[in-house]
Amino acid sequence: MKVSRNELTASLKKAFEALGFEPGDYYDAADMVVWLETHGFYGFDRLLSTLAYLNTTGPVYADLIQEDKHNFVLDGKGTSILLCGSEAVDLIRAEVTKGKSAGLELINCYNRTFILQRLVKAAQRGFAFIAYWRQLEYCVKIKISPDELLPNYSTHEFAGKLDPQSLKIFCGASLANIEQQYAGELEFGDQIDHFSYSRMEECYQASLEFGIEIDEALWSMLDELVARVLVESTDRSRAGAGD
Amino acid sequence: MQNSLSNSLVIGENNILPMRPASTVMQLDRLGSLHQSRLSFMRTLVRRMVAENWQISAPVFDLDEQGFGKVVYQIQARYGVFSFVVFSHYLDPECRNDRVIADKWDLTMALCEGTIDSDQLSFLQNNVPKQEAGRVDSRVLVLSRANRSARTFEYVVDELSNGRQPNIDVIAEVGYLYRTTAAYGSGKLGMADWEKVWTKHRDFARPFAAEMFTCYLLRHFSMKQAEFLASKRDPQSAVEIEEDLKRYIGIGNSTGLGMAPFLINHPLLINQWIEMRETALARVVKQSELGITAGIVDQLAESVSRVIKHLGEIITEDERQSQVNTKVGEELHMLRLWLVDQRSDLSNHVSWEALTQFAEDNWHVETQEVINTLLIELYPELVDDLEERMWVDESYEIAPEMSVADFIVSIESKYDWALTIDFSKHEASGIFWYRSEEKMEPRLGHTGVDNGIDKEMPLGIARRVRDCYDQLCQYDNDNPGKNIAHFIVKNPTYNGIVARIQTMSQSFYGDIRENLVHKDVLPINLLRCKLSFFGVSKFDPRSRLWVRNTMFQGAPLVDDFGKPFSDNWHFPIKPAFSGD
Repeated sequence: MKVSRNELTASLKKAFEALGFEPGDYYDAADMVVWLETHGFYGFDRLLSTLAYLNTTGPVYADLIQEDKHNFVLDGKGTSILLCGSEAVDLIRAEVTKGKSAGLELINCYNRTFILQRLVKAAQRGFAFIAYWRQLEYCVKIKISPDELLPNYSTHEFAGKLDPQSLKIFCGASLANIEQQYAGELEFGDQIDHFSYSRMEECYQASLEFGIEIDEALWSMLDELVARVLVESTDRSRAGAGD
Repeated sequence: MQNSLSNSLVIGENNILPMRPASTVMQLDRLGSLHQSRLSFMRTLVRRMVAENWQISAPVFDLDEQGFGKVVYQIQARYGVFSFVVFSHYLDPECRNDRVIADKWDLTMALCEGTIDSDQLSFLQNNVPKQEAGRVDSRVLVLSRANRSARTFEYVVDELSNGRQPNIDVIAEVGYLYRTTAAYGSGKLGMADWEKVWTKHRDFARPFAAEMFTCYLLRHFSMKQAEFLASKRDPQSAVEIEEDLKRYIGIGNSTGLGMAPFLINHPLLINQWIEMRETALARVVKQSELGITAGIVDQLAESVSRVIKHLGEIITEDERQSQVNTKVGEELHMLRLWLVDQRSDLSNHVSWEALTQFAEDNWHVETQEVINTLLIELYPELVDDLEERMWVDESYEIAPEMSVADFIVSIESKYDWALTIDFSKHEASGIFWYRSEEKMEPRLGHTGVDNGIDKEMPLGIARRVRDCYDQLCQYDNDNPGKNIAHFIVKNPTYNGIVARIQTMSQSFYGDIRENLVHKDVLPINLLRCKLSFFGVSKFDPRSRLWVRNTMFQGAPLVDDFGKPFSDNWHFPIKPAFSGD
């Protein structure tokens, strides 16, 4: 079945609300899922695996466990980027405004691809980002310049040591600034694949023109979650709507 | 009164009129007193349709002798072609219900992009009558439904079939033949997203333009159907509705709580609407410092007379609204007398600033807003460009680098109104908003009495601001010198309210200044605020939770498109007929 972006976002917000997310967090989480799905990054597949986790535990937030001038380490404690991605990006971009690039490692976190939407949104505020993480036996690298609407997404041969569940994010006024300051931490192997801008744009335009294809089982699953935030209707409650 | 008003209407020393402050404009009782203006969406849509001479035809008009069946209108607008599909059904009068929870209607409708082929018509026929229980696709821009007026529809058909024009007083008492109870757009139920409408269909690239157009074509259909039925009943005697009477027939509307959360969840958009309206008013007031001509005074006096008559023709059982209408009429009468005085001697150098200030100091808030609306009307050349600036992206941004101390100061400045509320009192949190399992309809519950507070919608912005403020103060005390990013990492559940406060603090007018969970809150003021920007008239509150009103009453007809147009159909009054 097809759904619009608006109704998908509305449904996701309520579903995340049902899972215990707070206002703000469920807005951000819905935006992350929708962005991935409408740009060709299989947001629904990633959401399915995430829901299985979120449905078994209350919201878990990351802790700041290390802070050294412009560098941070957040411990995700096994949570999803949907719950800690916004805080991570805000934390490092707050330091960049003081004149230097900043870096952050988010350890023990899952669903890292969702960070794409947060980086794209923050780039609109005039920031550049480089982020990478280990995905099986290769490395995913994201680069985005200030004000760019789409990220540069590529996969690379694995080079160097990287924890399987960590995400590294670097933020600066420009990609050159980041690469200069963090040269030692930005070494990648040969490129394996690249997700073209045109493919992202085509996916997005198609979703806008024709709607977003969603599996009916997933839509039903979201409906079941949404039902948790609804209140039983009674004669008395109908009076609370004007009867 | 005459002297005091005259004395206060002398131009002051300031050459620049500031915008009215948020502390005045964003009070809920004032927002609930607004009337439509030149910037309202119905007004701008009508201007566009008439000026661009949109062509509307009916390639399918397939109704039976009872008026049931389907009709397809094709619209050639300036930039594109659209189709409006109407399904007319038999409805047991016992099932006629204006509430959102209804599941059967007299009419169901869809506005679609492009032309309609038989496959799509069949698809629409299977889904549009089901409304929320059906699914449509991204070719559909708006889905709507309507119910007949039990008081006027049959009466009008009967009169026309007997060769008579309907009595104007009967029409005036109701104002319409059909009442719409919902017009969904913006991607609901599989429809086209607003972004698609905005980027692809320039004809409807303004907020709610497609929804308003749907209601306009419903009005057109309602009269065509009545005339069709009359001609079927008695082909020899039947007559069509006279044109002036047609223009006086609008579309009814019932709006309930479903609209209220929209205003709270789209604060940037509401700020934008208010800011444009206030910009229009400020421009007009400033312009008057250069002098006011006799023609302008005459025009205002004429408008005031019309509003007095309009208010006198409103029939409402709501005691409060009835008293307000009377009061506003009396105060406008004083204004009219004063305008006559001014007309005889323009050497007093009157300015609209002095008039609006006098009104604010002496007259009812609804009189003030009527005057503001009428002033805006006088200077279309200063106002109409603002109609292209009524949309804004509803996106909140955190400024994580801001120090917690600075943020606290910012809240104390921008949300001082929220910090003055004592939330330790029960009445301050006396109600809560929740979504019912019945079509997710927003409803109000009484705290400590009704079920559902564990599923409360976060619409108590003032209370959330207060809570956030207290947490910030505690954090700053314990961790001096930190920024917002650090605060949120330690207090992640405040992410949303921090983003809202920081974003709205950058806007001109900010949030609506009301505790929306107070036991005595009047949600109807929220509804009326939004409806005024839609452009409706004749507010008839049915309780504090829902309001009836009239859309497009007085507006030009499809046959008027492309003809000279004075755009003065606001505050409609009964037409005078020689036969009356």
